[in-house]
Formats: sequence, C-alpha cells, structure tokens
Amino acid sequence: MSPDLLVALFTGAALFGIGVYGALSQTNLVMLMMGVELILAGALVNLVAFWRFLHPDSYAGHMFVLIVMTVMAVEMAVGFGVAIARFRARGSVEMEEARELKG
Amino acid sequence: MISWQTFFMAFFGIAAIVFGAAVFVTSSMMRSALALLFSQTALGAMFLAMQAEFLGVLQIMMMATEMSIMAIFMVMFMMDPGGLGDMDMSHQKRLSILAGVAAAVFSAVIAIAAHWPAGPETLSEVASAGAQVRALGVELLGRSMLIFETAGVTILTAMIAATAVAIPPLQRSKAHES
Repeated sequence: MSPDLLVALFTGAALFGIGVYGALSQTNLVMLMMGVELILAGALVNLVAFWRFLHPDSYAGHMFVLIVMTVMAVEMAVGFGVAIARFRARGSVEMEEARELKG
Repeated sequence: MISWQTFFMAFFGIAAIVFGAAVFVTSSMMRSALALLFSQTALGAMFLAMQAEFLGVLQIMMMATEMSIMAIFMVMFMMDPGGLGDMDMSHQKRLSILAGVAAAVFSAVIAIAAHWPAGPETLSEVASAGAQVRALGVELLGRSMLIFETAGVTILTAMIAATAVAIPPLQRSKAHES
C-alpha cells in the first residue's frame, strides 16, 4: 500500500472522529452542523485518495466527491432554514431546548 | 525517502486536523467558523497535493463561501458570538469524546487492515489538470449524467425547502389568504 494513501486515510479518520465528537457534544445547531461538515470532509479525503492512489483512470471517483459536496451544501441550506425557523419560534438555536421534538 | 507529495499531504492533513479540533476547543463562535474555514482550506490544499486540481480549487471556493455564510449566521443567532462570556455549549462530553476516539481508531484500523488493491505502478503519472477536467466533463455528460442531474435537482429542492421553512408564519398565512 502506498504511504500517501495511508496519510490520507489517517487524516480522514481523524477528521471523522473530530466530527463525531462535535456532532454529539454540541448543543448549538450551527456548531452541530460544523461537526457534520467535518464528518463529510473526512469522507471527501478518502474518496479523493482512492481515486488518486487506486484508480486514477476512473473519473467516477470525482463524481462521488461532487455528490458528497452536494450533500454538504444541502445540509447547510436545510440546516440554516431550520435554524431560522427555530430562532423565530423560540429565539434560540440551542438543541437542548428542542427536546419536545423527541416525540 | 519521503517524497514531496507525501510531505505536503501530511503537512496539510495535520493542518486540517488541528484546525478541525480547534473548532470545538475555542469558546468564540467566530473563531470556530474561521477554524473550520482553515481546516477545509487545508483539505483543499491537500487535494492539490494529491494532483486533484479541479477538486482542490472547488473545495477551497465552496468552503470559503459556506464558512463566510456560517460566520454571518453565527453573529445573527448567537447570544455571545465573540465568546467573551465563556459560555459552555456542550453536553455529554465524556460520551462524545469516547465515540469520537472510537470512530477515529476504528477507521484507522480499517485503513491499515484492509487489503487495498494495488494502485498504478508509477504514481507520478496522473493526467494533467486540463486532461482531468476534460475527462470529468466527459464523465458528467456520459454515464454519470443522471447522477449529476439528480445532484442539481437535489440542491434546487433543498434551496426551495429551506426558503419555505425560513419564511415567517405570518407572511405565509397572508400569502395564503391573498
């Protein structure tokens, strides 16, 4: 295995771990979204590394990256839409105060 | 001997990790947004080091815009965006740290233990930036066209949905009456 691939995969693993920590520990919706962004960033590094070091001739790998970037943009758009609605309704985007959504 | 590519990949990778961790360490929301911006930019630079020029530049441009918007939202929504009050906005810290470390270690173990297929013989022989963009264009307008179109429609739907959710209820009911 190429050492470069290992460097990229370790970076992805670390970003994924930090993102999981952020998504679970933060009470603020915007901070929570930052955690999800880091998780997706970890996936991005892996995808680019797989393309570069395993299949540089196949551009389907680039497509995967574009799809993950789309997911990042969609997550931000919907997240901020929800944040605005929540802020209008309750004056706060603290998720601790959204326990009634539990059902 | 370590190649320049490995060196720059490791350098930008470490920068991305350090700034990524800084997002949740600082008590200032603005600093968090900036740290995330730097982390994503370092990631874009790492893509450039991996000779994925188009994706690297795209990542830097997209994330610069996204994080700027995020910083604006921080100022709008936060009671203390500058972090002067030293507010703690986290919960279940021990569980989160455990889950984060477990996820990172598990991913790293998989990276080491998996039998990755052998890559190309000479890693330096990757298509030039122009050839890559051309090949990606052919891919987008060829067999991946449906996926690409779906991604576009998904973003459009998300934009409409986000706008619909964000419209104040009063305006919504007024529009309904008229």
